[in-house]
Amino acid sequence: MTEVEQLLINTIVLSAPLVLAALGGLISERSGVINIALEGVMLTAACITAIVGVATGSAVIGLAAGIGAGIVISLLHALFTQAFSIDHIVSGMAINALAIGGTNFMTKALSEHSQERVPVYPNWAYYTLALAATFWIGFYLKHTRGGLHLLAVGNDPDKSRQMGLDPIKVRYLALVGSGVLAGLAGVLIVSNAQSFSDQMTAGRGFIALAALILGGWRPWPALGACLLFGLFSALQLQMQGTRIMGADIPYDAWKALPYLVTIIALAGFLGRNRAPAGLGKP
Amino acid sequence: MNSLGWKQIVLALVAFGCIALALVGIGVMPFDALSELIRGSLGTKNNWNETLKHTTPLLITGLAVFIALRAGLFNIGAEGQLLVGALVATAVALKMPGLVGAVLSVMAGTIAGGLWALPAGLIKAYRNGHEVITTIMLNNIAAALAIGLVAGPLRGGTGLSTSTDVISESSWLPNVYQDLPFRLSLALPIAILLVWVIAVWIKKTVAGFELCATGANPKAAETAGVEIKRVTVRAMTISGALAGLAGAIQVLAYEHNFYAGFSSGFGFDALGVALLAGASAWGVLPAAFAFGALAKGTTSLQALGVPKGLSGLLLGTIIIVFAAYRYRKVKSHD
Repeated sequence: MTEVEQLLINTIVLSAPLVLAALGGLISERSGVINIALEGVMLTAACITAIVGVATGSAVIGLAAGIGAGIVISLLHALFTQAFSIDHIVSGMAINALAIGGTNFMTKALSEHSQERVPVYPNWAYYTLALAATFWIGFYLKHTRGGLHLLAVGNDPDKSRQMGLDPIKVRYLALVGSGVLAGLAGVLIVSNAQSFSDQMTAGRGFIALAALILGGWRPWPALGACLLFGLFSALQLQMQGTRIMGADIPYDAWKALPYLVTIIALAGFLGRNRAPAGLGKP
Repeated sequence: MNSLGWKQIVLALVAFGCIALALVGIGVMPFDALSELIRGSLGTKNNWNETLKHTTPLLITGLAVFIALRAGLFNIGAEGQLLVGALVATAVALKMPGLVGAVLSVMAGTIAGGLWALPAGLIKAYRNGHEVITTIMLNNIAAALAIGLVAGPLRGGTGLSTSTDVISESSWLPNVYQDLPFRLSLALPIAILLVWVIAVWIKKTVAGFELCATGANPKAAETAGVEIKRVTVRAMTISGALAGLAGAIQVLAYEHNFYAGFSSGFGFDALGVALLAGASAWGVLPAAFAFGALAKGTTSLQALGVPKGLSGLLLGTIIIVFAAYRYRKVKSHD
C-alpha cells in the first residue's frame, strides 16, 4: 500500500465517527439546543456497546444498546435544558463529566469482561450509514414538514410557538435523533478499537462540533469539514517521527495538529454568524 | 418561576439517589462512603494538608472561570492555560533561581496563561466562534505541547522519563505555618488575597462593571456605550492570566517541577467551582474548598474499591443540581 492510499484510508476511518457525531450535533443545534454533550453521548454509547456486546456476545444487541444509551443521555440533555432551563453549555459540560465518571465507574465495577473483544459490524456499514444519513438529513430538513418544523423552532422558538408548534416537543424529538447519530459515532469508535478504554472518544465530540460550525450548520459542508479534520488527523499519524528542516518534531507535538487546524479555521473562515438564530434560547 | 420548587428537589433526590445506588451496586454502603469521604478529606492533619493543597489551584482557576462567566463567557480552557502557565513558570525558574527568578517566573506564567486564552477571546469577539470550542482545542494543543516539551527540550537530567528538573529551593514559595505533617503554604493566603482583589475589581471599577454588564445583557451594554468586543477579549485574557498564575503558583508552592499529568483536571473542576460560587467572587472560596475536599476525599475512597469515576459523577451531579436551583437566575439570555 502506498503512503497516499494509507493516508486516504486513515482519513475515512478517522472522519466517519466525526461525520456521524456532527450530524447528531446538527439536528440538535438546528432545533436550538447547543450540544456540547455530544462527547458524553458518544462515550456512554461506546461503553454500553462494549459491556452489552461482550456480555451477550451479539453485535446487534450491542449496537442497539449503544444507540439506546445515546438516546438516553441525549434526552437527559433535553430534560436539563428544556424542563429545568439549565444553560445548554452548563448542562453539556455536566453530562460530559457524568459520562466520563459513569463509564469509568461501570467498567471498573464490571472489570471481569474487559479483556474480551467486543462483537462488531464491519466498518463499511457505518461509512455507508454516515453518507446515507448526510443525504437524508439534507433532504429531510429542506423538503419535509418535520424538517421545516425543526428549522422553524431553531430559528425563532417564539414565532414557531405562535404558529402552533410546540418547541419543547420538537426539541425532545430532535435530541432523540441526535442521540441515535452520536450514539452510532460512539459505537463506531468502540468497533474500531474492539474494546472500551477510559475516555476513548478523546474529545472527538468537540471536533465534530467544530466541523459543524465550520460547515455552517449544513450537512454536506459539515461532512466536508469532518473529512478535512480526518485528513489532518491521518497526516498527524503519518508525520510522527518525520524530520522537518532537520529538526526532530516530538511525537506528541504532532497530536496538536488537528486542533491547531480547528483554531485557524475558526479564526479565518468564520467571518459571519450563520448559527441558528434561536440557538440556546428557551 | 419556581426556583425552589418540587421539580428541583426531585431532580436532586433522583441524582444523588442514582449515585447511592451505584455505590450499593459495587457493595459500598452510601453512608460508609460519605463518612470515608469526610474522614479522607478532613479527618487528620495530613488529610487537611492535602485538601488545602487541592483547594489552592481550584481557588485561583475557579476565580479565572468565574471572571469569564461574569462576562458571559465559558472558559473551558483553564486547564490548558494552567498547563502553559506552569510550563513557562518552570522554564523561567529553572533558568533563574532565587527570589527575582521566582517573581519573574510567576509573571511569565501569568502572561503565558493570558496569551494562551487570547485567541479564544479574539475569535469570540471578532469571528463569533464559540469560546467553548476554541478553548477546548487550546487545551488539547497545550496538553500535546506540554508532553512534547517535557519529553524533549525541557526533559530533566534526572533519568525519570517525563519530567523537568526540580527548580532550585531558593525559588520555592515558603510555608507560613507548619505543624507537621500539616503545612500551610503562602500560596493559599495569596489565593485568598486574589479573591479579594477580584471582588473589589468587579464591584468598584469601571472595567469590572462593564464586564458584568456585558455578561448580563450584551445588547443593553452595547447600547449604553460599552465596547463589548474589547470587554470580551479583556475578560478572556484576564481569565487565562489567572489560570496561568494558578499553574505558576502550583509549581513554586507544591510541585517544584513540571511533568506529564501535572494537572489532575483542576481546570475542569474550576467550572464547577465557578458555577457554585454564584454571583460573588467570595463564593469561590467555599466552593473551591468543597471541591478540594471532594477531590481528596474521593482519592481516599479508592482504597475502599470505589472507582475514581465517582468524582466525575459527583461533579456532574453537583453542577446540574446547583444549576437547576441557582445558575439560571445568575445569567439571563436576552
